[in-house]
Amino acid sequence: MSIRRKLLLALLAALVVTGLAASGATWLEVRRQANELFDYQLEQMALSLADQPLAASAELVPQLGLGQDYVVQVWDAGGVLAYISKNGAPLPPSTSGYDNVALDGEDWRVFTLQTPDRTIQVAAPAELRSGRATAMALRILVPILATIPVYGLIIWLIVGEGLRPLYEIARAIRRRQPASLEPLPERGLPDEVAPMVTELNALLERLRDALERQKRFTADAAHELRSPLTALQVQLDMLSRARTAEETRDALDALRAGMKRASRLVEQMLTMARLEPEAPLAQPALVALDALASQVAGELEPLAEARRIELRLERLEPARVAGDATALHALARNLADNAIRYTPFGGAVRLAAFSEEGHAVLQVEDTGPGIPAEERSRVFDRFYRLPGSSVEGSGLGLAIAKQVADAHGAEIALADAAGGHGLRVTVRFKAVSAA
Amino acid sequence: MRLLLVEDDAMIGTGVRAALRQDGYVVDWVQDGAAAEAALAAEPAFALVLLDLGLPKKDGLALLEGLRRRGKRIPVLIITARDAVADRVRGLDLGADDYLVKPFELDELSARIRALLRRHAGRAEPVIEFGGFRLDPTTRKVSYLGRDVNVSGREFSLLTALLERPGRPLSRAQLEERLYGWGEEIASNSVEVHVHNLRRKLGERAIRTVRGAGYVIDEAPAEACRSAASSS
Repeated sequence: MSIRRKLLLALLAALVVTGLAASGATWLEVRRQANELFDYQLEQMALSLADQPLAASAELVPQLGLGQDYVVQVWDAGGVLAYISKNGAPLPPSTSGYDNVALDGEDWRVFTLQTPDRTIQVAAPAELRSGRATAMALRILVPILATIPVYGLIIWLIVGEGLRPLYEIARAIRRRQPASLEPLPERGLPDEVAPMVTELNALLERLRDALERQKRFTADAAHELRSPLTALQVQLDMLSRARTAEETRDALDALRAGMKRASRLVEQMLTMARLEPEAPLAQPALVALDALASQVAGELEPLAEARRIELRLERLEPARVAGDATALHALARNLADNAIRYTPFGGAVRLAAFSEEGHAVLQVEDTGPGIPAEERSRVFDRFYRLPGSSVEGSGLGLAIAKQVADAHGAEIALADAAGGHGLRVTVRFKAVSAA
Repeated sequence: MRLLLVEDDAMIGTGVRAALRQDGYVVDWVQDGAAAEAALAAEPAFALVLLDLGLPKKDGLALLEGLRRRGKRIPVLIITARDAVADRVRGLDLGADDYLVKPFELDELSARIRALLRRHAGRAEPVIEFGGFRLDPTTRKVSYLGRDVNVSGREFSLLTALLERPGRPLSRAQLEERLYGWGEEIASNSVEVHVHNLRRKLGERAIRTVRGAGYVIDEAPAEACRSAASSS
């Protein structure tokens, strides 16, 4: 239901209710006052007959100027009806003072005056009095009811005018291109609407950023896929050119390596894409970094073995963090995987997890070539590879690690390894004390 | 024919080098812009450069610009993943002779290299004909005086080098530069051995020794031309 219609109906209903209440109160009050007046009139009439001779009643009553509806009855001391102003059945005798009696299905108000020689009854139909009250109440209610359509129209127009900024925003949104995420105009908006538009614009901006990021990522990804695809194409062409069994075997080996590389890149891209930046952690779970390190070490053992690299778990101490288990696994695995890939044959990679000064720390150290200090800020960029690096890396490993670290409010630092040879990656999380 | 391959991706570099070697070229491969610059400065014998653009140390376009500014006329074939029209236009305008977008097929790469070499030698026709020789770079077939001759890859390259500038002699050192890449073992008399083998297949007069200058292929003797014409 529209605000306009709701307001219209509510205001009109309020108007009707207050009008009715006012009329009702008026009606009650008028009737009370009328009753008093009528009663007083009845009493005065009775009294005016009381000091007149009994026989004069017939002449006196018409002179009182009462309406047709009034009935006057006079009884003598013997209880005989001496006079009645109206033909028909007499009112039944009643006690002295005011009383209500019913006659022929009609309510009568009766005043009975008892004097030593007679009883005088003056009566009027009750309807006469409430009729007067109702007429007065209606006189108040009718103008109110009559003006309701006018009020309705006025309310409709005022509310419509008040809501115009909303209509204008709606129209502005409707008119824009489907893909447009430009902010809505915020100037000249009433105080009630401005915060909504501000929030909406903030949302649009976040959307625009996310979309922009997504677009850039897609473009980067498409570009980055060209290299492995080119390698595959070259390797495939070499296979079709192969003439000897040896050439065929070599070409197949190269092709297999190319496929592996392409698959790994795609896998990394998917991991990256799933790590929606700025998204709050869905359901933070308690993750033990020491268990994570052992798990990753187990997963990468075959790779390490193939590259004759000693994969060691060192200093495993309870260290727990609150976070996304899948993302943290991607972080640990990428760091360890990178270390193994970039360390020359026969080297060593060391994984550690421990608590230190209120931080839960995950550390990966290798005996590889390390990263020169001037490159350390750039290696976290997506698809950035160290110049001259011969490893078929995706350029995404460290970017993934960084993104996960950022999402967890963790700090990721690169340094020379302990021996001064190789790389040490340290990720410092806010620790969660073991409950 | 010696080519310089500038490509930072190890897999692509390995594959392309192997393919070009199969085509009979001598291929030197460097993986960054600085190394490419050094190679081009040190080695005058490269017939063509295959240039990737996204290179470490020095970008391919900067390399190309510097090359042309120094007046080097060597054919440059850009091989890159940058496929936007603006990139291609920029590459060609900076002095590239051709532009191939990754991924590409080896056959196309080979054909483009042949076309560039042909145009650079000032020929429009694909087949080299001079002094009774007929060399087809596409099929690597050689005929001399109308007779098909089987030659090895290096022998073919040697003949191509001598026919590049017909009538101008090339020294043994110049021929070695064209026939061997870096790090290849060269026996001290290898050029002589190839010339000797070719003379054995073609006849003593096919390649003439110029004392103190090297080797040259002369315009064929008139009667040899006639016999070639009558035999074909």
